[in-house]
Amino acid sequence: MPENRLSEPEDPFLSVLELQMGPQHPSTHGVLKLHLKLEGERIVDCEPIVGFLHRGLEKLAENFTYPQVLPLTDRLDYISAMNNNTGYCLVVERLLGIEPPPRGKYLRTMVCELARIASHLLWLATHALDIGAMTVFLYCFREREQILNFFEEICGARLTVSYPRIGGVRMDVEEATLEKVYNFLPEMERRIDEYEGLLSENRIWLERTVGVGVITAEEAIAYGLTGPSLRGSGVPYDVRKHFPYDAYPEVEFEVPVGKNGDTYDRYKCRLQEMRQSIRIIRQCIEKLPEGEVVSELTPDLDMMPGGRMLKAEAFNEVAFISFLQEAKEIFPKGELYSAVEGAKGELGFYLVSDGSGRPYRLHIRAPSFIHISAIPKLAKDHLIADLVAIIGTLDIVMGECDR
Amino acid sequence: MRLSPTYLLFKDLVTGLLITLRTFFRKPVTVRYPHEKVQVFPSFRGRHAMVVDPETGKPRCVACLKCSVVCPSRCIKIEYEVDEKTGERRLREYILEALRCVYCGYCEEVCPVGAIVLTEWFEYSGRCREDLIFNLEKLVQNWKEHVAKWDKEFYENKYWVLKGVPLKLKPAPRRMGLVVKIKGVKVDG
Repeated sequence: MPENRLSEPEDPFLSVLELQMGPQHPSTHGVLKLHLKLEGERIVDCEPIVGFLHRGLEKLAENFTYPQVLPLTDRLDYISAMNNNTGYCLVVERLLGIEPPPRGKYLRTMVCELARIASHLLWLATHALDIGAMTVFLYCFREREQILNFFEEICGARLTVSYPRIGGVRMDVEEATLEKVYNFLPEMERRIDEYEGLLSENRIWLERTVGVGVITAEEAIAYGLTGPSLRGSGVPYDVRKHFPYDAYPEVEFEVPVGKNGDTYDRYKCRLQEMRQSIRIIRQCIEKLPEGEVVSELTPDLDMMPGGRMLKAEAFNEVAFISFLQEAKEIFPKGELYSAVEGAKGELGFYLVSDGSGRPYRLHIRAPSFIHISAIPKLAKDHLIADLVAIIGTLDIVMGECDR
Repeated sequence: MRLSPTYLLFKDLVTGLLITLRTFFRKPVTVRYPHEKVQVFPSFRGRHAMVVDPETGKPRCVACLKCSVVCPSRCIKIEYEVDEKTGERRLREYILEALRCVYCGYCEEVCPVGAIVLTEWFEYSGRCREDLIFNLEKLVQNWKEHVAKWDKEFYENKYWVLKGVPLKLKPAPRRMGLVVKIKGVKVDG
């Protein structure tokens, strides 16, 4: 009530104080802005404001051929780029009717799970740092570094990997690298025990997480939460189990669920998920079939939108643009939705094809965007310090939310 | 919770402190970067270079424009001239804007002759925009710098070999591999 402000001094504990949190706040995990209404330190209302990292990725994808969109998807959830790549590859494979060879499938599953561990490690690190546990932050980054080294060894890049390809993966993994990954798994299991030893029973951690940001199963489904945020409330929904893709139907794993739907249960869920990921990677390496890694039917990287090669003489700016505009039917028409279990939740790709070599429309169902919409519900009647824990527990990445 | 033996005997804190104490006796994992260099893995996607044929001393590029077509960020521009008699294309200029590049490695993957390559050179900078817009001369210079640092006899990029990829998907000249001999060849610069 700004008009009253000059006339009489208000009691700050009774009036509503408006506060902008972010977009530069370190605990908002990127450029999330929260418009808070406070009574004292209690949050009455909270409005998330997104869009600071908007890059027009979906629109950009309409101007690229199918293989060229792949490096764009790295920039969605840049912490687990393998999952994004796989999700995009899957939807194009289903459009074109390509089936990756078994070795490609297994390798993709393996790198996806490695990316999931890396993502959960980064989540645990920053979440613990927000709440005040500095040690866990350093320990998690130590292990994440090793996983990124594996990525570097496999494909030559650490974060923006572009490793999966439509119809498989881009190249085979050396035996020595597989050996290294396999030897890393028992060590990783010991490390998870360490994190749990540091946090799971720690009195400060329990005070800060138990009963904070509770959401019931019905509400979580109504808000559209997926991934560990939903499973923390006790709903055993997992795309890997319910709509299996790649090598997931051939490996054994469990879907850990929580009970109370609070921050602590989601923390427990994610740690259990890391153990299950280790289990999947181990089975993948043990069962890894021989053979080729990419299907022969995969579209060429240098395919043209009209399905033929550009004549070299015509290569100037004007000719290039006019060439892009002529679209020949080289691919099946149609629209389809396909989802993968990303590290954050269900990452869906909705693709409309008009028969040309470029997507007519690509919509990305980003779990972070949907999770942010649940922040006002979770944060109501909590303190500002708990809001930091709530943002952390939903595991949001703004690159994916704003696209 | 407050009356549990874990809480009263400080078991949770002691467990945590023991874990941190154990780390105290381990070797530190920190790399003191400018003083200690991290060795990147082979085929790391770093600074661009134009491979020079060790025998003729000319760039390998045949101006097929595949890289410039495939590039998702459209950062490659190629100028070339066509020989009237033979119909052979000659590379005149190759401009690569490193500032636009997203390091996806598509260019080195499609190159039929293994000319453009992303080298394992990861630390580079420029004082202005022009420093990071590589022309042909600069790209060749990058390759020479990379070769000078390379201590093995041969250089072969993983993206030229593409292990496990069906033969049909590889360009014909690349099916036998494109090893560059480095030792025993005089390199100036």
